[in-house]
Amino acid sequence: MALIELKEVSKLYGFGDATVLALDEVVLSIEKGEFVAVMGPSGSGKTTLMNVIGLLDRPTHGSYLLDGRNVARRRPNQQARVRRDRIGFVFQSYNLLARLSVLENVALPLAYKGMTPVRRQKRASDILELVGLRDREYFMPRQLSGGQAQRVAIARALINKPSIIIADEPTGNLDSTDSKVVMELLADIHRQGNTILLVTHNPELTRYANRVIYMHDGMIVGDEQTAIGNMAKGARRTHYQKRKVTDDDIAEGVSALMRDVPGKELSAKARKPRPRAKHKKRSAKRLASHRLKAGSRQRREKTRK
Amino acid sequence: MWSGNFKGAIGSLRANKGRSLLTMLGIIIGISSVVTVVSLGEGLKSQVTGQINQLGSNVITIRSGKLVGNGSGISGINLLAFLSTSTLTDKDVQAISKLPSVNSVVPLDFVGSSASSDKRQLDNIFVVGTSSKMADLLHKKVAYGSFFESDDSTNKVVIGSSIAEELFGELNPVGHSLKVSGATFVVQGVLEPSSGGLLSVAQTDFNSAVFMPLKNARSLTNGRTNILQILAKSNSDQLDIAVNDIFAALQKTHDGQTDFTVLKQYELLGIAGNIVNTITRFISGIAAISLLVGGIGIMDIMLVSVSERTREIGVRKAIGATNRQILNQFLIEGLALTLGGGIIGVIVSLIINGLLRIYTSLQPAVTIQIFVIAVGVSMAVGIIFSVTPALKAARKNPIDALRNE
Repeated sequence: MALIELKEVSKLYGFGDATVLALDEVVLSIEKGEFVAVMGPSGSGKTTLMNVIGLLDRPTHGSYLLDGRNVARRRPNQQARVRRDRIGFVFQSYNLLARLSVLENVALPLAYKGMTPVRRQKRASDILELVGLRDREYFMPRQLSGGQAQRVAIARALINKPSIIIADEPTGNLDSTDSKVVMELLADIHRQGNTILLVTHNPELTRYANRVIYMHDGMIVGDEQTAIGNMAKGARRTHYQKRKVTDDDIAEGVSALMRDVPGKELSAKARKPRPRAKHKKRSAKRLASHRLKAGSRQRREKTRK
Repeated sequence: MWSGNFKGAIGSLRANKGRSLLTMLGIIIGISSVVTVVSLGEGLKSQVTGQINQLGSNVITIRSGKLVGNGSGISGINLLAFLSTSTLTDKDVQAISKLPSVNSVVPLDFVGSSASSDKRQLDNIFVVGTSSKMADLLHKKVAYGSFFESDDSTNKVVIGSSIAEELFGELNPVGHSLKVSGATFVVQGVLEPSSGGLLSVAQTDFNSAVFMPLKNARSLTNGRTNILQILAKSNSDQLDIAVNDIFAALQKTHDGQTDFTVLKQYELLGIAGNIVNTITRFISGIAAISLLVGGIGIMDIMLVSVSERTREIGVRKAIGATNRQILNQFLIEGLALTLGGGIIGVIVSLIINGLLRIYTSLQPAVTIQIFVIAVGVSMAVGIIFSVTPALKAARKNPIDALRNE
């Protein structure tokens, strides 16, 4: 049984004409021990997906099974308990509480569990040892470098031995050296059997993952198993999306530059039509490979459905 | 959990020291004024009680006029008794003195007058017409000289300590002459200073009174024969019998009319206490308004604090805080704020009380009870006015809160 099972999960924001479909009948299952990287352009629904999986947000439709139990419709306080015990968050901006020391920050989830101060500080201390920051216990968050702060945040996410760790662009605010340290730490945690869900824009980071999910317009448009250490193929393409402008493109003019802007059909019209996707129920795998060949146009067709 | 929350609350209050202190100021002012007023009232009550107790518990006071109601509440004392003509006469004194249950009787009459010595003149003094037994009955000690022995019309007077000081200065006034309303008297004794109060037994300050036999006092007022007040002392364990006897005897001399009041000491005490209580309650009610204003200030600042710390709330919720735990966090923060204000307020009121003791004749009495109530009230204010902000914090949606910058 999968650790996480999303069944046709949709999330809508707003009302009437202003309704935005942030997640569009997403079907996803994640096994225990996977390191899943989630990629996709801004506004593709990555963060909404993370929020739904992290129980910060409720799906409008669909069901979400965590460890076989449907948690999507639980009451807020029950969801808070599930977050506390089963989910660890790592945010892009660390989100450490400025007034608490490093040790207190790491121990905070245990405080909400009702553990006595001595025991929780002992445990927090052990976890800090694990991320190599034992000697920073009594520092305040502002005295830490970005990399250290993010490692503290990871320690905080780990302290309750969660089923899954959700890292939303954990290296977004870090330089490459700190990024590497943080990613190596996450890889380490993964090797110890933890499940990790990583949102990233950086294709290099897919080297740490053994599965990469591509999202676009609220849908999962690609799902690729990769070997750890190799960059995902699809990711490489996203990598070059911020593109080099070729002579052909210059000849084509503005329409070529618009090719990758979601929702614009200029490039599609500019080229001769390609065979359309046959139906919705393709396997994710096939879709991914298809998409890799077809490029961005394929995605748009899928979106139009 | 609670102690941790409390530590956290103090931490976040210290992060905004100036703001926290200003917010507390409302509570400090409210609590310190209420505590000061209440302890002043308590002090006044114990002063009055002390004075009345000086007389001894078996002293019975007979006053003109009928008590309204059952003798409790401010209406219990006929405040107009001084203005209207008293219904008590010499006949009453004689009737009471014949009763077997009564040990001694002292009539008291008060005349406003002026006094002068060779050197100085004093307006606004009281002449107390009484009998020779008064000093004994009221436990008044004579500092110099002696009290007059005979009730017959002599020209001897006894004066209060402040009159002695003002008219004769350093001199020992015993043997010197004194003019009261034109008539000349010889000072025979000076009373020891007694603790003056707002509500002394006879509603006068004995320190600035001239005591003389009743007949002499009457001659000053052209032979007015009425007596304002009679004090009687019962035999040691016959207080209730004496009260009944006096009541019966007076009704007889008054032709069956009950136009007088017979009061035991503790009844007098109750009346005085009631007056003080009413005044205290009234003033502390006004002071409590500042507590209310302070509470609104707390609510205001807590609301600001909640919206400032939206992101923190989001993070706490993301890592597993339940609504209740967020609620508690902010409730305890408000509580810490008002508890601190309450404790500082009590300290401030102690300082004010000390200054009052030093610079005025007021003797504020501070009891543990007042402290407990003050701290309790400040805690209640904290909880009540933090509920709304804390609920607001607890009900925040975690993603919206996290997105907040």
